Amino acid sequence: MNSVGEGCTELKREYDQCFNRWFAEKFLKGDRGDDPCKEMFKKYQSCVKKAIKEKDIPIDGVEFMGPNKEKPGS
Amino acid sequence: MKIWSTEHVFSYPWETVIKAAMRKYPNPMNPCVVGVDVLDRNLDKHGRLHSHRLLSTEWGLPSVVRAILGTSRSTTYIKEHSIVDPVEKKMELCSTNITLTNLISVDERLVYRPHSENPDVTVLTQEAIITVKGISLSNYLEGLMALSMSANARKGWDAIEWIIKNSEREKVPLCDMC
Repeated sequence: MNSVGEGCTELKREYDQCFNRWFAEKFLKGDRGDDPCKEMFKKYQSCVKKAIKEKDIPIDGVEFMGPNKEKPGS
Repeated sequence: MKIWSTEHVFSYPWETVIKAAMRKYPNPMNPCVVGVDVLDRNLDKHGRLHSHRLLSTEWGLPSVVRAILGTSRSTTYIKEHSIVDPVEKKMELCSTNITLTNLISVDERLVYRPHSENPDVTVLTQEAIITVKGISLSNYLEGLMALSMSANARKGWDAIEWIIKNSEREKVPLCDMC
């Protein structure tokens, strides 16, 4: 699976792999230790943000008007 | 405006379904999803995992709808917010299109929960609001979109089952299969 930024795909794959492992082996089992994917995510995220800006994709200001008419709580 | 909803039962426990749902793409049933990115991800004070993702899709609209709306733009972007609560065993996912919004909006909400009487199976409830804006054919187009939602929902269920079967059998992290 690709990233929206062609140059971010490799960073995304590394991060996804790390996340999927953490999600299955730690998070779902109730383990709340440090996030091992934090640094990978930072690198990947800054790459994606740049690509989104370049492609002018309007990610900001979108409200989730789901059928329940409320934003999921945070 | 048209409201569409459906329900599906997966013959797998919640954890198995959720793991597959989190890494649903790529899969052979949804070739139109060409990119998935995580925009933001964090744990809230209740220990729930929030993920904000951007989906890049080709042919996001049925071809008849695209023809009538007169859009030739082939990439449609969808923003998605999911919340996984590992204690309550609930995953909720809301999505909405962020391009073509002057023509159409499809707001979808999915909830995955264990079956109340059988913890070995998982119930997915799915609903969507479809709104085609500002043209006289909007009722007709909304009906077409609702039909397409039903077909897409089936593809989505098949995709989750495909992910479960493939990852369970091969024990290969999905990312390596991209």
